[in-house]
Amino acid sequence: MDETLGKETVALHPKKRKKQPITWSLIKNQNQLIWMSVPLLLYIVLFAYVPVWGWTMAFQNYRPGRSFSEQEWVGFKQFKFLFTDDNFLRVLRNTLAMGMINLVLGFVTAIVLALLLNEIRKMFWKRIVQTISYLPHFLSWIIVTGIVATSLSINDGIVNIVLMKLHIIKDPILWLSEGKYFWGIVGASHVWKEVGWNTIIYLAAIASIDPALYEAAEIDGASRYKKMRFVTLPGIKATIVILLIMSVGHVLEAGFEVQYLLGNGLVMDWSETIDIFVLKYGLAQGNYSLATAGGIFKTVVSVTLLLMANWTAKRLGEERLL
Amino acid sequence: MGGKSKNMFKLSLIVLLSLSFTLTGCGGNNSNNGKDAAKNGGAAATETAASTDGKVEPFDISVFIGEAGQPPTPDNKIFKKIKNETGAKFNFEYLAGDINQKLGVMIAGQDYPDMMTGNTKLTAAGAYIPLEDLIEKYAPNLKAHYADYWNMMKDPNDGHIYILPNYGVYNGEVKSSWYSGPAFWIQKAVLKEFGYPKVKTLDEYVDLIAKYKEKYPKIDGSPTVGFEILNYDWKNWGLLNAPQHLIGHPNDGGVVVTDGVAEIFADKDYAKKYYQKLNEMNQQGLIDKETFVQNYDQYMAKLSSGTVLGMFDQHWNFSAAEDSLTTQGKIERTYVGLPLVYDASTKDYYRDLAVLNLNNGLGISINAKDPVKIIKLLETLISEDWQKTFSWGIEGEDYIVKDGRFMKTQEQRDNAADPTWQMANKAKTLFGYLPKLEGSYSDGNSTDASAQPEEYAASVKPYDKEVLAAYGFNSYVDFFSKPPANPVYYPAWSIDLVEGSDAKIANTKLNELSTKYLPKAILADPGKFDSIWSDYVGDIKKANVKAYEDKINEQIKWRIDTWSK
Repeated sequence: MDETLGKETVALHPKKRKKQPITWSLIKNQNQLIWMSVPLLLYIVLFAYVPVWGWTMAFQNYRPGRSFSEQEWVGFKQFKFLFTDDNFLRVLRNTLAMGMINLVLGFVTAIVLALLLNEIRKMFWKRIVQTISYLPHFLSWIIVTGIVATSLSINDGIVNIVLMKLHIIKDPILWLSEGKYFWGIVGASHVWKEVGWNTIIYLAAIASIDPALYEAAEIDGASRYKKMRFVTLPGIKATIVILLIMSVGHVLEAGFEVQYLLGNGLVMDWSETIDIFVLKYGLAQGNYSLATAGGIFKTVVSVTLLLMANWTAKRLGEERLL
Repeated sequence: MGGKSKNMFKLSLIVLLSLSFTLTGCGGNNSNNGKDAAKNGGAAATETAASTDGKVEPFDISVFIGEAGQPPTPDNKIFKKIKNETGAKFNFEYLAGDINQKLGVMIAGQDYPDMMTGNTKLTAAGAYIPLEDLIEKYAPNLKAHYADYWNMMKDPNDGHIYILPNYGVYNGEVKSSWYSGPAFWIQKAVLKEFGYPKVKTLDEYVDLIAKYKEKYPKIDGSPTVGFEILNYDWKNWGLLNAPQHLIGHPNDGGVVVTDGVAEIFADKDYAKKYYQKLNEMNQQGLIDKETFVQNYDQYMAKLSSGTVLGMFDQHWNFSAAEDSLTTQGKIERTYVGLPLVYDASTKDYYRDLAVLNLNNGLGISINAKDPVKIIKLLETLISEDWQKTFSWGIEGEDYIVKDGRFMKTQEQRDNAADPTWQMANKAKTLFGYLPKLEGSYSDGNSTDASAQPEEYAASVKPYDKEVLAAYGFNSYVDFFSKPPANPVYYPAWSIDLVEGSDAKIANTKLNELSTKYLPKAILADPGKFDSIWSDYVGDIKKANVKAYEDKINEQIKWRIDTWSK
């Protein structure tokens, strides 16, 4: 009781507003707001924190259909299997590489496309380009990989035909049989599918830049290129940094469907990601524990990367997430 | 003050409401109900048995089918008949999407329908009830049907019978005119072109394909493909299984069993010989460049185009492509299966006597409310009358009887081949999974219309007659040697390696190595073949082959002990 009284006296000095301490009167004042937030809080607890309980599976030899007390505990056995397998380093490398390629390519292409779209004066053309470029986003990966495989085929695949007509290559190349092309193919497919969709948020950010800035720049004699460089880009810098931090956390989500559907024995050394490894040795074997261990590993790495990116942004004096 | 408390009241109502919404999502673990029901099943059944002697009592059976499919039409005549005569109304749930994912969800929630098709994951999760007592007690005909196979049906892990095998139980004389197993396949046109030669060895086969491809570089305007090797996902036998057959062994999956002892053959010299031959074929340009990049659909599309001269595959795996070729009127592009060996003196052993289809068929789940009723229904459906209804249809409508022999008119044949007609007039999927009579009925008619000699004779096309006459055979099955009696443990491929065991992990690893190295070895310069092969063998040595072989040998021994009569 004394404590709350003490805090109340502090609250009476509004000049030093560091942090408003939580008091009964404050709670009473905001009680409607608090009640309103309860369902959301419950939702988060239920769907984000309760499932974490399932992580216990990673330390068991989990068998479905048995109750929790009947499960066999095995300590770090699943993690040991994961980290000591010869293939693990390889799939980790593939995952990171493809994740980075997707991240960088996705970012650069989306920003460039947004900047270019912003320069189009005719609304009609802008709309058309935008619509066409984001339509592939709505296709599922199974269809996209079908399109990719067909266009890379040596029998009338469009990529080989174009390259041969341009005399860049002499004979058709079997793109999907060479490991060295695989990462590139995955990166390019991602760009094709997602670039239009990713530009939307940048276009929105660009739209919120004060037009007075452009006018001022024009009066100062800035060219279109210079306006892009000194007005538009700094204007959307905060958006870029925030999105970058968020995507860094997803670097290990290099994808599963693309690699699974486009991969084959010949490119296995380049195509398999952590998700595929977990599917093969975890889920397909009925070893849910190993699959969980793989999931935990990915979460830990993702959270670490996210915090690191956030910290770096803070050090650089940029906008940040946390 | 009054207004405030009213507000308070409203708010707490909202909170309560939202709470109840979120919480209802978590409820509903009713596995216990199911177990109780299974226990009480006996008592319930005696009651129903008493009430069924007069009129049939309608009841629902929910069935999960572990493959994609279409439900029969609501007015399907066979299901109508079942409902009228036994009271049973079937509700099917077909698999949509990935089987493992679906099973995972079902197991996690203990959410099972009354019956489910066989799957080792469900067995491991304890989702089926043991059937042996129920059958002994309520189903004498089923018991008689399975009498010779009783011990084989028992689960090696706990000795219970969970699943009733749907194929492999034979009665009466077995006639077969369609070979469904593995072979080296060759287009009929190739055989015709060279005057129907007898092809025994791999070398002769490759020569024929090479000669034909040279003579006809294009078929219907598209480049001729010499040889296809399908290696996609779990359909990898096109690449992996041929060596065991080439030395005269039957299909035992990944191992060759000699004198009851199994060992893997992937790293043996006779396997190397095969892949070296494929490497040579690739140098000659006989192997499709895209063969290792394609998926199953692309493979089927190529076969259906009629440009592929040959491949190693199981007949059932590509029979849809042959159907398509037949519809296109390209009978000469359909295939003949050849049981090739390395050396003409080796006796081929591709064709085997049918084996019990373990872990396939239907089982009753722990959630089934009245297992006795279901067993009694199965007992009814195994009777010859019902079996005829399932297989042949309804007399007069779907088939005719002449002097005691079952036959079909041309219209009835066309109907039977029409998928839309089947949806309304056949219980195809259900019958596929039910226990069934195979061979012939007690009146001598065949259980399968296509194996009935009269029907088979009517179905042979003129082109096929010419091919068969040239070889002096009755059907394409005669290309294969008559199979000897199966060894007791046969086939080793049906051994359940047990989910998550070292043996299963080793098996996955071996498959992975083959998928990775063999395509490389086949496509490599001939000079590099040996070094890739030795890398492959080296990596196999590193995998836990012993765990895999030990598990199979242990099970072979178990089968010999338990299955021997």
